Amino acid sequence: MIRLALVGCGRNGAALAAAAAASDGCALTVAVDVNPDAARSTARAAGARAHVGNLASLLESDAGDFDAVVVNTPNNSHADIALAAIDAGRHVLVEKPLALSAEAAATVQRAAEGADVRLMVAHTLRFMPANVQVQRALTAGELGRPGMLRSHRWLRRFPGPPGGWKHDPARSGGLCVHEGVHEIDQALWLIGERPTHVHAQARPELLQIHLGFASGAMAICGVATGLPLGSGYYSLTLIGSLGSAYADDHHNVQLVYRGGRPQAYVSDQRASAVRAQLDEFANAIAGGREPSVSGADAVAALQVAEAAAASGTSGQTAHLTESGYVIA
Amino acid sequence: MSSPERYRVLALSAAKHDYVALAFKDHPRFQVVGVADEPTAADWVHERNEQLAADLGVAYQPDVDAAIARHRPHISVVSSEAARHARLSVRSAEAGLHVVQDKPMAPTIADCDAIVEAVERAGVRFLLWNRNTQPAIEEARRVIHAGEIGEPRAIHVDFFFSKDAGVLLDSDEDEEIPDSWLSEGELTVEGIYPLAYMRHILGLDAVRAFGRASAHFFRRHAERGVEDIATVTLEMEGGAIGSLCIGRIGRPSHPNVGELRVHVVGSTGALVVAESRPEIALYTRGQAPEDDRNRRTDEETDRRQVDLFVAALESGGDTLLTARHGRHIVATVVAALESARSGRPCEVSRPS
Repeated sequence: MIRLALVGCGRNGAALAAAAAASDGCALTVAVDVNPDAARSTARAAGARAHVGNLASLLESDAGDFDAVVVNTPNNSHADIALAAIDAGRHVLVEKPLALSAEAAATVQRAAEGADVRLMVAHTLRFMPANVQVQRALTAGELGRPGMLRSHRWLRRFPGPPGGWKHDPARSGGLCVHEGVHEIDQALWLIGERPTHVHAQARPELLQIHLGFASGAMAICGVATGLPLGSGYYSLTLIGSLGSAYADDHHNVQLVYRGGRPQAYVSDQRASAVRAQLDEFANAIAGGREPSVSGADAVAALQVAEAAAASGTSGQTAHLTESGYVIA
Repeated sequence: MSSPERYRVLALSAAKHDYVALAFKDHPRFQVVGVADEPTAADWVHERNEQLAADLGVAYQPDVDAAIARHRPHISVVSSEAARHARLSVRSAEAGLHVVQDKPMAPTIADCDAIVEAVERAGVRFLLWNRNTQPAIEEARRVIHAGEIGEPRAIHVDFFFSKDAGVLLDSDEDEEIPDSWLSEGELTVEGIYPLAYMRHILGLDAVRAFGRASAHFFRRHAERGVEDIATVTLEMEGGAIGSLCIGRIGRPSHPNVGELRVHVVGSTGALVVAESRPEIALYTRGQAPEDDRNRRTDEETDRRQVDLFVAALESGGDTLLTARHGRHIVATVVAALESARSGRPCEVSRPS
């Protein structure tokens, strides 16, 4: 059983703690947060001990009760915390993005390789049950060559006050890095190659990324983050040369009648995705192998996200090069 | 001038489709009086025209001018090969006929401009045949125009039709491409439908396009250098974002006619509609593999389009898809394909 220290017990921390509790491969043993209430409530729910402070203070008072660190803090702190954990010889699962830049992410990746610890990045869309099936069908050759990917993900407005870190591009990395990196990783994973072109349109709470690949494949990915509560929606279509896959909330709506008023109900697949992600992390550590979402994957996604951000700002297309991108 | 009790309709070619002309059959305000075409049309076109004439119970005359003189129609329905659309539509307008024309409007923007100029100079109505009267599309438009999801900020259309077109790219089979296959790309031919949805639902036009296009499935598309799938992103008027995924994705890729859907994100909400809904699922023993297993329950779509055309004729108002709007759609497709070639976004041309 892999013992986890969760650093950052904010909103997403509860989901991670619940996933760890349900996992056969790992358990949360330490809940770490500078906010005493957050650390204690997460620890209580998970049957773990609370540490009020940060990773540095946890390592100073190392009780030897954790093998790996789950980094769940604001985006601008991911790289430093991951490097500290790696330096302490701990395996690391980092919430996406791995860092605010591809260059900083590559530094973390190299550090993990040098220290021979497992580094995994939480590109959770890869673990969504529907996406797992799509990828399996692709791998089995049932869909043929991937030709087109279309995905949309709609989220309710970022919670918290306007001054919160998700609303501050300097701390979140902006919409391309904070949310778009999910879609980009998903596209690179399913199409199976790095794009040659990125054309993005960015608006407040709205992002559209258009990718072109050398094979002729193409992808359009959309993210909306400003919708009212209850507007969450996920939709993906993958068109292959031999068949197509449709993973879509619109196909999976259940009707629930309460007091005669019909309501649409969509199963929340995220909980099982977070658990599957933790299981993969634990299994990779136990098996001494690279996790299925590697540091290199995270660096690749961030390189494309940076290109997308530049395209969105300039209104021009980013042409990817070996080391970065050119706007033209 | 008072409206006729029944408008006389002359079908000008059924090279592409018969359904546009057939939509006028049995309508109480129309009488299809004949089918005509240019004498120089290909043999297979004459054969299709004769079949349509037989289906309509009228005569086929391979001489457009003679047919117009003989039948004195009020309206022409043009469904020739796209390369002849402008010639037949301009000829009709010059003869004082209102025009209902099949898609695509024309292969070039210059051809579209010629149609716009001819119909506006003649003061006749022009309808580019479309699918905007599908119930789901009408409902989406109603929701947006009622302000139920606030200011529209983004629209996406998936327009995947599950039809085959000859042998697959990877196949070793031989293929003889029929003359009736006109070497047209799928964005070029079918793009009118989803782009018309965007305009109809939002009331906004595209100003700039970025496109990708590929021959991914079918050998004939690859050999003729045209696309069977394409993705397009659009900068729309007012800063809205548009996008489109389109493709002829092959029969095995969907249980029904295809995945035809619209997403709209507004400032206070969002909507998702599937064009084919409402529908029923029908599964029977002995069903042929190519049968649609899901069938639309609305059979009035084409009739509503014709009804709206009557209203436009008699009110003097715009048709559901005017020549100017059709021209803008062609300009959007041209910009997207030019972008796909150059790898850079392209402005959508406006009339000079």
